[in-house]
Amino acid sequence: MGTISIEHGDHLYWLGRYTERVFTTLKALQKTFDKMIESEHGYTEYLSYFGLTDIYADNWDFIKSFLYDLNNYNSLAFSLERAYDNGIVLREEISTEALSFLQLAKDTLAKAQKAPNPRFALLPLEDLLYGFWGCVYENIYDDEIKNIIKCGKAVERLDLYMRMNYSYKKVKKEYTRLCKNLESIPENTPYRYNSFYYNELSDILDSSDEYKTDGQKAIISLGHIFDKTEVSA
Amino acid sequence: MSLQPEQTKFAQAVGNADEINELLRRYGVKFGIYKNGVFNEQFFPFDPIPRVISAEDFKGIEKGLVQRVNALNEFLFDIYHEKKIVKDGIVPEDFIYISKGYLAQCEGITPKNRIYSHISGIDLVQGKDGEWYILEDNLRIPSGASYPLIARELTRIAAPEAFTNNDIVDNRNYAKLLKATMEHANCGGIRAILTPGRYNAAYFEHSYLAEHTGSVLVQNDELFVEDNMLYHRTYSGGKTRIGVLYRRIADEYLDPLTFYPDSLIGIPNLMEAYRSGNVGIINAPGNGVADDKGIYYFVPKMIQYYLGEEPILHNAPTYLPFYADDMKYVMDHLEKLVIKDVAEAGGYGVVFGNELSKEKLEEFRKTIIAEPRRFIAQEVIDFLDLPITDNGETVMRKADLRAFVLSGETTKVWASGLTRFSRNPDSFVVNSSQGGGFKDTWVLSR
Amino acid sequence: MKTVSFFFSTKLTFDDYVHDHSFALRIMPLETETQHILTSNLKISPFVTTQQTVDAFGNNVTTGYIKEEHRFLDFELKGKAEVNTEKYRTDYMPCYLYQSEYTLPDENLRTFYNELKETCRAESPSERAKYFCDVLSDMITYEKDVTSTETTASQAFALKKGVCQDFSHILISILRMDGIAARYIAGLAFCDGETHSWIEYWTGEHWEGIDPANNCPGTDDYLVISQGRDFRDCAINRGVMFGTYTKQLQLVRTVMQ
Repeated sequence: MGTISIEHGDHLYWLGRYTERVFTTLKALQKTFDKMIESEHGYTEYLSYFGLTDIYADNWDFIKSFLYDLNNYNSLAFSLERAYDNGIVLREEISTEALSFLQLAKDTLAKAQKAPNPRFALLPLEDLLYGFWGCVYENIYDDEIKNIIKCGKAVERLDLYMRMNYSYKKVKKEYTRLCKNLESIPENTPYRYNSFYYNELSDILDSSDEYKTDGQKAIISLGHIFDKTEVSA
Repeated sequence: MSLQPEQTKFAQAVGNADEINELLRRYGVKFGIYKNGVFNEQFFPFDPIPRVISAEDFKGIEKGLVQRVNALNEFLFDIYHEKKIVKDGIVPEDFIYISKGYLAQCEGITPKNRIYSHISGIDLVQGKDGEWYILEDNLRIPSGASYPLIARELTRIAAPEAFTNNDIVDNRNYAKLLKATMEHANCGGIRAILTPGRYNAAYFEHSYLAEHTGSVLVQNDELFVEDNMLYHRTYSGGKTRIGVLYRRIADEYLDPLTFYPDSLIGIPNLMEAYRSGNVGIINAPGNGVADDKGIYYFVPKMIQYYLGEEPILHNAPTYLPFYADDMKYVMDHLEKLVIKDVAEAGGYGVVFGNELSKEKLEEFRKTIIAEPRRFIAQEVIDFLDLPITDNGETVMRKADLRAFVLSGETTKVWASGLTRFSRNPDSFVVNSSQGGGFKDTWVLSR
Repeated sequence: MKTVSFFFSTKLTFDDYVHDHSFALRIMPLETETQHILTSNLKISPFVTTQQTVDAFGNNVTTGYIKEEHRFLDFELKGKAEVNTEKYRTDYMPCYLYQSEYTLPDENLRTFYNELKETCRAESPSERAKYFCDVLSDMITYEKDVTSTETTASQAFALKKGVCQDFSHILISILRMDGIAARYIAGLAFCDGETHSWIEYWTGEHWEGIDPANNCPGTDDYLVISQGRDFRDCAINRGVMFGTYTKQLQLVRTVMQ
């Protein structure tokens, strides 16, 4: 490939973020659906992750909104649509095959909407995402470019894990993964980390106690990880 | 030259239409369309009954197209330099300079290897007599090659035996031909395809061809001209020189400092870099003067003038009211002719004489007399219908063929093409935006 | 023959920083049969490397690209030339016979021409051009600030007012309707504080200058900078830049002696 523009770099990063968002929210939603089997408003915890108020009549109302509603920015459909938007402009970098997985994912979601049992109909979605990433990693030859999408993916996963109150052990694992990706981004490129926020994040995630008390602060630091201007403490 | 028996022989579906369309969906074979201001992506429906062109027929088409495109390239060089064909009275001066496609800003520019039309999309139809007629030349940014390309990949999966049992020329070399054509025009640097963006009708094709020719797909804001060279702004803050730009945006928008100043999709000073021979542009800006409806009439004369040969492929019989003899014929036969306004494009300004009321016909007659240069008149060709499957039944529909001619080291005709058909039984319009579809085009090797 | 010194400067100022600024200047006077450039010096600030090309109409084009942020673009041209209008230019292009963007006549201007044609007894292109120029001179008032660089021949004709650019466009439009090829000239004229415009028409053998704003023939006091179908081909400075500026101010000063 050899040459990639800033614009394509951005699309790669967001492609990583949105596909990961689809993946992790899908898993969380499946868990929530499971909870709904025995409880009337089984989704309240899920809403609390994102600080959202309960405006849903019942479980079914919640499911419809969080799976298919494109006007709900937290829905699976919305994230998948954004992933597709970012992917479609990267055909020559990630390949037609990789894009076909996103098309199939969209089709699967559309089919699930008509299926009597959406949870069952959504099962292939996870496989399709694995297929998509495998295909992307296979097709991007340049490690530096591949690392951009990996960074997007790792940032998104860590962010969601922290919001969803995952255990310190799991968060720490994802954090370590992110560090590896961040360290290999060369200086003076758009996704080089901001050392102030990077250090701040490290301080919190280095111990489980700090994570418990300062988890919210860690989420904020992560949000600034690629800020252009360096801040001195 | 009749093809009827062979058409019947092959008039069976290759694979299942639904299966292949499902695969085409999967691979994102789409075109963008605006309806009521909202962007939508539509799938381009595929019909599994191939159009078959015999080896002998294709040989004739191939020779005729090479000859035609070579003459058109000579014409473009001549028009932007000495204009001998005008001085020698073959083409009246007015037809050149009132054409919207003529760009005075391109005067004196000689592209590398003197090639102006690198990718020519020539639209043909086959008459019921088996004869092929040229309907129109597209020398600016003809689109459509990607659809048959990807369809062939899929039909070979869906119906392998059809390809084992028939001698069909493999058409999957288009990307390779295109890449070689781009390299031949390369002035030193990487290959790039310039797209107006994802919301362009042909975006799928732009990105698909970029992927398959190993070119960088770019938009104008990623490019800049510095020191008279075209560069791609890279992610890490550097720049990579572009040696050849296959642009999929119209001439007028290419360079806001040379053409339309308000263009937001152009690259400032691109034309100066191009004029200096520092970057190749595919196809050359200014080509519109040669695919103008008014100029179409003169293409057979160009072939005689520049090549000293007789045209192998014929135009649909065309009359220019500009000439007194032709005017008389047009006036006497207006009700059976199709009249085209040379200033209009994309299916607009086309009037069928037999569809006009008596009053309208008389009104139109006056318009033609008042502005004879504005119109051309053509005989309505009774063209061969092709079988298509429609809800499990085989029905006959109008279809045309866009042949792709690539001019690099030599002029080559891609042994395939885009066969488009109309969905509507009464329609002559084969445009994809009108609900039509496409077929695979088989060229037989013997 | 006359030796002239010329000086020309433009200061382009933006009210906020701009970047990725591409420009194309048509400012270096042409070397032609009727004028020989002895010296010609162009200074551009901020510093930028430039390239010289020659466009389709024979104009010198100076291109450049300033990536970094800046708030102004100044250029200054100084030089000496020998002008000799006893010689003739013969660089004909057929496109000059056809109306272009700025000269395309509307119904009003076309009607005016059709009437004018009836009153014109002259036969040769030179005499016809002089006649048309005389009529326009009586009819159109030279007045600043009523038209802009965007004004077309038809619009200026409707106003019956305008500056040299408008006079040129109207005369070109009329000459082309009359079947006489005509081109737009941008240049410097003796005793004029700004850039000037006049036209040239084709006699059948060569170009002949005529200045419709002053209703006089082109002389050794006129220095040609650029030529084209109309103003669009001759803009001194065309540019594209990025930034949040809302205004740009252009100051032009010329001296010729």
